[in-house]
Amino acid sequence: MTVTKSTVLAAGLAAALLGTGPAAAQQEPGLTPTSIKIGMFAPLSGANMAYGFDVANAAKMYYDKINKEGGIHGRKIEVVLEDDRCNANDLVAAVKKLVEQDQVFILNGGSCSAAVVAAKEYVVRNKVPLVMLNASGDGALYPPTDYIFGAFSISQYAVGGAMIDFAAKTLGAKKIAYVNHDDAYGAWNLEGAKADAEASKVDLAVESVNPTINDVTAPFLKLRAANPDALLIVTYARPAALMIKKAAEMGFNKPIILSVTGTANLSQLMQNVGGPDALKNFYFQDVLADLPGGPKIKWVYDMYKQSYPDLAAKPDHPQAYMPYGIPSAMSIVKALQAAGPNPTREKVLDAMKTLNFDSGVMAGPVVFGPSERAANKATIFIKFDGTNQTLQPGVYSSRWKFKG
Amino acid sequence: MRFLAIAVAAAVLIALPLVTTGYVVYLANLLLTFTVLCLGMHIVIGETGQFSLAHAAFYGIGIYAAGIAGTTFGTPFPVSILIGGLAASAIGFVIGMVALRMRDIYLALATFAFGEAMQWVFLNWNAVTGGPNGLRIAPARLFGLELVTDKDAYPFVVATAIAMLVLTVIVARARLGRSFRAVRESEIAAQAMGVPVRRTKVVAFGISAFFAGIAGGMFTLFSTYIHPDSLGFQTTILVLTMVVVGGLGSIGGAVGGAIAFGLISELLRQAPSFQEIAYGAILIVFMMYAPKGLFAFLADRFRGARHA
Amino acid sequence: MDKDLILLFLQQGIVSGMVVGSVYALLALSIVMIFKTSEVPNFAQGEIFMAAGYCALFLLVFQATPVWLAVPLTLVVAFAGAALFRRVVLTQVSRASGSPVNLVIATLGLSYVLKGLVRRTGFGDTPRSFPALVSTDGVMIGQASITRLDVAIFLTALAVMAFLFCLFAYTKVGRAMRAVGMNPKAARLMGVDLQRIHMLVWGLSAVVSAIAALLISPKILMTAEMGGIVTMAFAAAIVGGFTSLPGAVVGGFVIGIAENLVGLFISSRAIVVAPFVAIMLVLIVRPQGLFGGRVAIKKV
Repeated sequence: MTVTKSTVLAAGLAAALLGTGPAAAQQEPGLTPTSIKIGMFAPLSGANMAYGFDVANAAKMYYDKINKEGGIHGRKIEVVLEDDRCNANDLVAAVKKLVEQDQVFILNGGSCSAAVVAAKEYVVRNKVPLVMLNASGDGALYPPTDYIFGAFSISQYAVGGAMIDFAAKTLGAKKIAYVNHDDAYGAWNLEGAKADAEASKVDLAVESVNPTINDVTAPFLKLRAANPDALLIVTYARPAALMIKKAAEMGFNKPIILSVTGTANLSQLMQNVGGPDALKNFYFQDVLADLPGGPKIKWVYDMYKQSYPDLAAKPDHPQAYMPYGIPSAMSIVKALQAAGPNPTREKVLDAMKTLNFDSGVMAGPVVFGPSERAANKATIFIKFDGTNQTLQPGVYSSRWKFKG
Repeated sequence: MRFLAIAVAAAVLIALPLVTTGYVVYLANLLLTFTVLCLGMHIVIGETGQFSLAHAAFYGIGIYAAGIAGTTFGTPFPVSILIGGLAASAIGFVIGMVALRMRDIYLALATFAFGEAMQWVFLNWNAVTGGPNGLRIAPARLFGLELVTDKDAYPFVVATAIAMLVLTVIVARARLGRSFRAVRESEIAAQAMGVPVRRTKVVAFGISAFFAGIAGGMFTLFSTYIHPDSLGFQTTILVLTMVVVGGLGSIGGAVGGAIAFGLISELLRQAPSFQEIAYGAILIVFMMYAPKGLFAFLADRFRGARHA
Repeated sequence: MDKDLILLFLQQGIVSGMVVGSVYALLALSIVMIFKTSEVPNFAQGEIFMAAGYCALFLLVFQATPVWLAVPLTLVVAFAGAALFRRVVLTQVSRASGSPVNLVIATLGLSYVLKGLVRRTGFGDTPRSFPALVSTDGVMIGQASITRLDVAIFLTALAVMAFLFCLFAYTKVGRAMRAVGMNPKAARLMGVDLQRIHMLVWGLSAVVSAIAALLISPKILMTAEMGGIVTMAFAAAIVGGFTSLPGAVVGGFVIGIAENLVGLFISSRAIVVAPFVAIMLVLIVRPQGLFGGRVAIKKV
């Protein structure tokens, strides 16, 4: 059959008619009388899978539990999950697919801060609610928008500030060595740290290293030369272990505090640093309500084992950040419930802005407000000597304030 | 045969935004951008045989230049895109001149190092690029018209891609193209034939960088944000594989490779745990059994089948 | 900065630089070995190094294999795997197309496959290590502090280099390898089995990388991304002269020391870009590196 001009025109017309069909919905997308579609995205593959794979699983299992209990106002939650590969381009593609192709009602995703910030403009322009998973995502939370909520793990500004707070108040440090990364994360937590350092009248010596660093001799030597009262490590797990090792090798005996960004797997940490000798004066920061595996949050791990028996049997599962998915999912469920039997995106967003509850999982409550979009700003500290974990009294936060 | 292919392609391009969602149009925009990147790489490696691994750096220069021009200085987007292309090609010419003495593997390694160094610059030059916080790109503007969605940007992305394709064909058919190919086959013979080898190589680098810069400009038409993580060796390798899989040395191969690989990439996203293994396996299998690229491979099969 | 501090920094920077440089040297040797005999820069060298490390991790930690068995087993697996890849994949790629681009892309494919496989095992998520093969007690060299393991790494690099030098200079196999590198057609005419030599070279290269992994993994901690260290090795190989084995070792030390000195005296942020600057400088100013012969111009 020859492709004539008229055939193409006819095909085009037919296609145009098809295209302008029910997609232009007057009602809320992703909502039917019996279901709510939630679009989830997280790094499910690649180098940064550990930051989001099990976090998404935790959120999903919570939604399953809600469904088993009857759903929300008679609607069951339906999840569509996309892999964002922890980079900006793929995350934006995943978001666009979920919003335009799958027509979800609300977005629940983002474990990687730098990547999730890339979706900010699109989400705001298309008026889609975005509730992050465990990303700090500060770049998308300050200045606040009407649509984006996050930092269920912790705001990075809070991480830096809380570390200084603890070192200054509890350990009495006046000169603090601070090592972070040269990425967006690092910039945010350093800013928070500087705010607290100023308020506490503490001096900072800062070294910023690349996450791929192999030899930490140079940054460590420089920090030691500043004669600090404490060494604060605000890096990811591997560089953190390298620093702790190097400190032990060089006979450094001042307190070492590791931020929540580097804590992942504690028993592995001890092996990695060469044994308990390196941890004689060692503290780590946490954002969970209890020691990892402690009684207060055992229910989360039990739920995981029940929902994913095959995964739980594999080594390294559940991954360290798994519990962070719970407060995120809880927030969405609470907001959906508060929005009533005829929810709209606007109603859900209004409900989100008033949330203030204790998830039972994190050290502090989930608190949003008229201009507050970062959920958690509270941390706890634990002394760890290789075998015993001793909870330090107090909940530490940051004095950093957003200057709009 | 070729006419039919072009007609089908035109029909698809025109119909696309009418029958699909913005997501699919976004993928198309991305694919067209990568096609222009592939054409640029085709010129420097396929035509001229210079193994340059700095493509992502020129792409990045194009994105930042076009993005800053549009966002901070409010230039209309045809100007922004052109600025992107020119900024990248200026650096490309410099690299070309510096690289004159290098050959093959050394050229590859030097351009690889330059690409990585450039990514570090993007990551650390906070004042200009925003550093690790990335750069916000305002919607492209042309007098009254503002390109906000992927569908808005689409016609202009297509127009730019077609323009660059036409440019590639013109260059290939012109004397410059013949000089490129002569240098690829044998520099000494080319010199003997009166081809100004040094200048030809520098021009190849400059033009290839221009294409990458224009691709960067295209990116700013439909994107609101850029982060240096997307501008490293991974991206250069992606473009290289597209060109090699499609078929090194042919324009159709460069375009076909971009489309085929772009689709494969999106499909692989659905199978997260096997992605890397699948990607590596595809590269290996292609190199083993279809070295001239997918389209030469298929063409051989069809030709064989017809003669059987 | 006062004089004492500068002196301390210099000593520590140089000593630590020599140690980490030894690892770069071992990997650079692996790369140069393959390049000398087949003109292919092996972009999978880092992943071979990484996979060998994980093999050792699996044996030592998860199977509780005793050290005297786990080490040779790892080396054998590395040798076999690499030789197999050369035999099955690269031979076919060579036959299908002589273009070096295709061979390089095939090695790139291997790097993705290896990374993907290691990630599938689930061990790659958290940084891991296995007990160091040599004790990590401290040793002082002047004012610089390192460990016994560090000294062992350094000495091993020298030993491997010496071994390779003897191999290439004095043994029949070594001479055959050099011949294949200089002129494969002539070598074949002289009765050299090209296939066998290529497989041997790849296998040997993997063994050297595996030795590096066994020594360095506890020091830098293992993740599926640890193959990234190969960039430093490429820089080392280039600085030393891409076709010179002793050059690779010297280049390794130079890069290791430069990395530390840049970090100490310029900025920690600049550490990651230092090798790229080194590569560009060397290739612009003196492309044959410190020890490489004159850059060969192919006669066409």
